[in-house]
Amino acid sequence: MATLADSFLADLDELSDNEADVIEEEDVDAGNMEEDVDGEMADIENLNYDDLDSVSKLQKTQRYVDIMQKVEDALQKGSDISNLGMVLEDDPEYQLIVDCNALSVDIENEIIIIHNFIRDKYRLKFPELESLVHHPIDYARVVKKIGNEMDLTLVDLEGLLPSAIIMVVSVTASTTSGKPLPEEILDKTIDACDRALTLDAAKKKVLDFVESRMGYIAPNLSTIVGSAVAAKLMGTAGGLAALAKMPACNVQLLGAKKKNLAGFSTATSQFRVGYIEQTEIFQSTPPSLRMRACRLLASKSTLAARVDSTRGDPSGNNGRALREEIRKKIEKWQEPPPAKQPKPLPVPDSEPKKKRGGRRLRKMKERYAITDMRKLANRMQFGVPEESSLGDGLGEGYGMLGQAGSGKLRVSVGQSKLAAKVAKKFKEKQYGSSGASSGLTSSLAFTPVQGIELSNPQAHAHQLGSGTQSTYFSETGTFSKIKRT
Amino acid sequence: MSYVLRTLRKKREVDTIIRDTIDKVLVLRFGRSSDPVCLHLDDALCKSAREVSKFANVVLVDIDSDEIQVYASYFDITFIPSTVFFFNAHHMKMDSGTADHTKWVGAFHKKQDFIDVVEAIYRGAMKGKLIVSCPLPSERIPKYQLLYRDV
Repeated sequence: MATLADSFLADLDELSDNEADVIEEEDVDAGNMEEDVDGEMADIENLNYDDLDSVSKLQKTQRYVDIMQKVEDALQKGSDISNLGMVLEDDPEYQLIVDCNALSVDIENEIIIIHNFIRDKYRLKFPELESLVHHPIDYARVVKKIGNEMDLTLVDLEGLLPSAIIMVVSVTASTTSGKPLPEEILDKTIDACDRALTLDAAKKKVLDFVESRMGYIAPNLSTIVGSAVAAKLMGTAGGLAALAKMPACNVQLLGAKKKNLAGFSTATSQFRVGYIEQTEIFQSTPPSLRMRACRLLASKSTLAARVDSTRGDPSGNNGRALREEIRKKIEKWQEPPPAKQPKPLPVPDSEPKKKRGGRRLRKMKERYAITDMRKLANRMQFGVPEESSLGDGLGEGYGMLGQAGSGKLRVSVGQSKLAAKVAKKFKEKQYGSSGASSGLTSSLAFTPVQGIELSNPQAHAHQLGSGTQSTYFSETGTFSKIKRT
Repeated sequence: MSYVLRTLRKKREVDTIIRDTIDKVLVLRFGRSSDPVCLHLDDALCKSAREVSKFANVVLVDIDSDEIQVYASYFDITFIPSTVFFFNAHHMKMDSGTADHTKWVGAFHKKQDFIDVVEAIYRGAMKGKLIVSCPLPSERIPKYQLLYRDV
């Protein structure tokens, strides 16, 4: 036990020793840094971001320097299309272009890292700026212009940003919770901004070079969308092969701007188009057809890129054919619809009328169906002359209506087969009262034959109903036969 | 109006068209294109020709041509314009309250009247009748006096 406790104590000592070592290291590093060390810098987190060089190493790499040099030379040399005979891969210029593409992607990543760096530093001064200005290069320019200034009315942001955003920035700056930066941090931030701007300029140069060689690298693609846009697409995609592998929907969105600022209405925001928006075909289509044109352009340019990546058509004929196709399609969309001609009448009686059925129709038809009263009046008993309205066989005959022995004196309104509620009520009445529904009716009735007749409640109500109604399943029927055993 | 509807001038053409119109009512208008009443009728015919096209065929016959005089005397055409109806090469008669059932004399008041008449003829013909009664009320039927020769 003692040894265990001792070992624990020893562990504790070790820990504290380690901490001491770490703090020492920090101080050493801090001492080695170019900039001065402040109390705030002792934080471990800031260790990584203090030194700009530890973050952005690209500009120091040999590769970068080499390629930039070559690009400068090539740009000065002017366009040179004498290498058509050579196989593409052996051509040093093609290799340079491939490298340029990779480099431009790297530069972009680098810019993003530097942007993060600037943002973290400037957060102390003006935290809201990062949410107002999204684009890294714009952010860098704005930070450089504002510097350590607290009052934004003294700073002129014209030309750097759209006026609406300048206004928002000024307003936010007046209520910001930031404090002015210390001198060293400010210097570091401005340095980082400069670096970002140089990287951006380098990227532009690279893109210009690629664009000038575009007709040689990807003739079909540049015939359709133009060399500038083709260069940008290739640069963003990271090479012709990468561009060819992309599906057309992605190509459509290459270079699309990100979301709008909060608070600005999205009603006027452009639909999702990227670099394709800058092609002349797109610009020359009427606004209503632009979405369709954009999709068409993206798909055809993807096809052209695929042809180019395999060097299938160095002369660019494929591209011209595709361009012609696109033009024709857009024209076809714009032509007016064919004039509407009046339809001739259909042949009489050729289309049979649509008969409807169903519960609703049956209920409607019930209103006009033959009532029980009429049915009774239509029938006669055998051998018994019927009564008539004028007597002696003149006038309308009454048939079985009101005849003695029919079990019915007053022909009540027959319940419809579909009225479930009425059927239930009717059943109740049968078993309940002796047939009289209201208190005013009496069970006595006068018939011309026998004088007074009492109604027999036990008589079948469905004596007349329908001839096919079976009494076996009747809900109101009685036992048909009772055997005494 | 004759640029929309066919005008026939030869006996052979009339024969072929009567023979070849199958399962459709054939409307033959006998008249001349300079007559005002005829023009009125032709206008109604032109405008409804397309609508009735699924069950009727409308054709104009020029009564001034020589070969057509045979038909003019056969059908006893004296009033211009006269319209004769056929179905599957059978001559269809229509009782419109006038003296002559074998043809329709005069113009129609409206396009719809013509369509109604053609439909009545079609229904009757499909049932197998050779004479049908006119669906129009008597105000819409053009009246004329039939003069009997030598009587």
